[in-house]
Amino acid sequence: MELIFFYIFAIVALASAIAVISIRNPVHSAIFLMVCFLQVAALFVLLRSPFLAAVQIFVYVGAVMVLFLFAVLILDLGRERFGEYLHHQSPIAIIVVVGLIFVIGLGLARGKLDAPLGKYTEAELVKNIEVTGELLYTKYVFPFEVISLLLLVAMVGAIVLVMKERK
Amino acid sequence: MSANSGIVDILKKVFFIDLIKGLSLTFKYNVSKTITIRYPDEEKWIPYQRFRGLHTLNRDSQGRELCVACELCSKACPTKCITVIPMEDNTGIGITDRVAQVYEINLVRCMFCGLCEDACPTTAVRMGREYELACFSLDCAKADKHRLLAPIEIPAEFEGGYVVKAKLERNKEGIRVRPDLTKKKRWW
Amino acid sequence: MDINTLIEVALITVKVILVSSILFALPIPLTWIERKVAGHIQLRLGPFRVGWHGILQPIADMIKLMFKEDIIPDKADKWLFKLAPIISLVPIFLTFATVPVGDKITVLGREITLYISDMNVGILYILAVAGIGVYGLIFGGWASNSKYALLGSMRSSAQMISYELALSFAAIGVVMVSNSLSLVDIVNSQKVSTWNICYQPLGFIIFIIAGLAEINRIPFDLSEDEGTLAAGYHVEYSSMRFSFFMLAEYVAMVLMSVLAVILFFGGWSGHAILPPIVWFLIKVSAFIYFFMWVRFTFPRYRYDQLMTIGWKILLPLSLVNILITGLFVI
Ligand code: SF4
Ligand code: SF4
Repeated sequence: MELIFFYIFAIVALASAIAVISIRNPVHSAIFLMVCFLQVAALFVLLRSPFLAAVQIFVYVGAVMVLFLFAVLILDLGRERFGEYLHHQSPIAIIVVVGLIFVIGLGLARGKLDAPLGKYTEAELVKNIEVTGELLYTKYVFPFEVISLLLLVAMVGAIVLVMKERK
Repeated sequence: MSANSGIVDILKKVFFIDLIKGLSLTFKYNVSKTITIRYPDEEKWIPYQRFRGLHTLNRDSQGRELCVACELCSKACPTKCITVIPMEDNTGIGITDRVAQVYEINLVRCMFCGLCEDACPTTAVRMGREYELACFSLDCAKADKHRLLAPIEIPAEFEGGYVVKAKLERNKEGIRVRPDLTKKKRWW
Repeated sequence: MDINTLIEVALITVKVILVSSILFALPIPLTWIERKVAGHIQLRLGPFRVGWHGILQPIADMIKLMFKEDIIPDKADKWLFKLAPIISLVPIFLTFATVPVGDKITVLGREITLYISDMNVGILYILAVAGIGVYGLIFGGWASNSKYALLGSMRSSAQMISYELALSFAAIGVVMVSNSLSLVDIVNSQKVSTWNICYQPLGFIIFIIAGLAEINRIPFDLSEDEGTLAAGYHVEYSSMRFSFFMLAEYVAMVLMSVLAVILFFGGWSGHAILPPIVWFLIKVSAFIYFFMWVRFTFPRYRYDQLMTIGWKILLPLSLVNILITGLFVI
């Protein structure tokens, strides 16, 4: 049962991800990106992590995509002009993608990408907000803080860029 | 003074004083009586006596027509919408031996200015309080002598300015709203 | 599968059907009430001619909407144009999957919960899924290929980003006090102590203001600003597609009222003279009335004022609220 759902979500996610990059209309591809995010959220639910699923919808679908669409609406990327933004990047992109697939495949084959369930029972995992919170502030506090700092830098940078333009 | 009013301003904003004032005002309106006149279903507005509605042709106390067909009203009318054709008559329907054979007002052209009323030497033509003049064909846009002489619904003595209970009547001739003058109330 | 599981499945199905049909039917009384409130606030009577005090007016309106021509603009993005009303409608219905209207009741010796599912991430789920609804507005406005509609959808997307933060931060205060994200737990925690409004007055004010902006109601209904944008994002819509947007808007208003009641006013808890569900309904209707009352009292904010309120007042205030709550909780 679960496996069937996994395949449904995974296939839809993959198909919509492909649609995102192959469709020329930016708003349409934004929709497919949304669909893709929603499928990933569903996968999180299958992985007994409703918190991550909700956050995925909240942050990516709810906020990031709205911002992205806002930019699309303002910039008015015409279908015709979409080509100029790809500056002969395809060869490099293909190499990177092939490399990435190779690395992930290697990891999968060697069994390095399976995470153990850990000391928590399944019921505890479903109620995993406390677990996630605790881990974030104890074991993973350093990466967590680094990411916050990174985001802060990005925000300050964006503001500085805008301020300069105004002068 | 200015610092003081600044603090008051901030306090006003913090406690939403102005918004609450507005809300309480609208709430007061919400629970108070409405001012809608439920015309034509249940109520009707009876205008003041000074109102200039459909004309009436009047009679004296013995029931004789006051109009002497002098055509002064038709001369005075700025839109030339009154047609008067006089005739000899000594059967005593009029106050003299000259009465109107035809007296017709074209209501489509009339602008209800009341100049005809001022011009009339015998106070035969008067502006009434009838204002429901809409109908389904152009026939009724002409008010003939018969119609103008017909007794009026609202007696001239009745002091206007009331909303009265009324009943909507539909029949072949059209729609009328019959007022019930006993149940009256001041509007607003 | 034993008989118990089957009954559970049947129960959930019945609940889902019940909830969605109630939500579908809700706009019928709500439009009537809204127009009545509008009328009486403006010293009018409101609808009065169809049925007793115009009570059948919404049904007449519905029939009218169904028989109207369904217009799709020639230059519109047809696919997206048809999709947008559904996108705006479905998420808002989905949120009610986790909205509790009461605790458990016992019928024929079987415990029936008065909610479809008690997610342990309830409030987060509701805010997240309700946020998807804004895509209906954005896509609808963009796909119409009309200036007014596009401006409306741009406004709504910017407004949504600005106010969702404040809304969720206001909710976080409640979560900190109640120590749970589940709506049932939040209500139960208020049963033990007093209602959250006593601990979170600031949070409540922020929640209501941001909520008004989230559900696009006056004074923040800039995306359908009749005065300057004709009707904003749904200017090109007609017939049933238009009514989908209306339906979504009303259900969103109900959702916001329900959330305010659950988060701040103790949900279905109340004095024992009335059954809990009645308390719940009374509180929710009070909020619905409040939203209508506000709508017919205040003028619309200007767009820059909207942004100022969102970013410079509500967001810092909600952070302060979290800080204060944190100090008290610890
Ligand atoms: S009211 Fe004026 S326009 Fe009408 S008939 Fe009399 S004079 Fe003519
Ligand atoms: S209504 Fe008066 S003014 Fe007109 S014709 Fe008769 S008497 Fe003369």
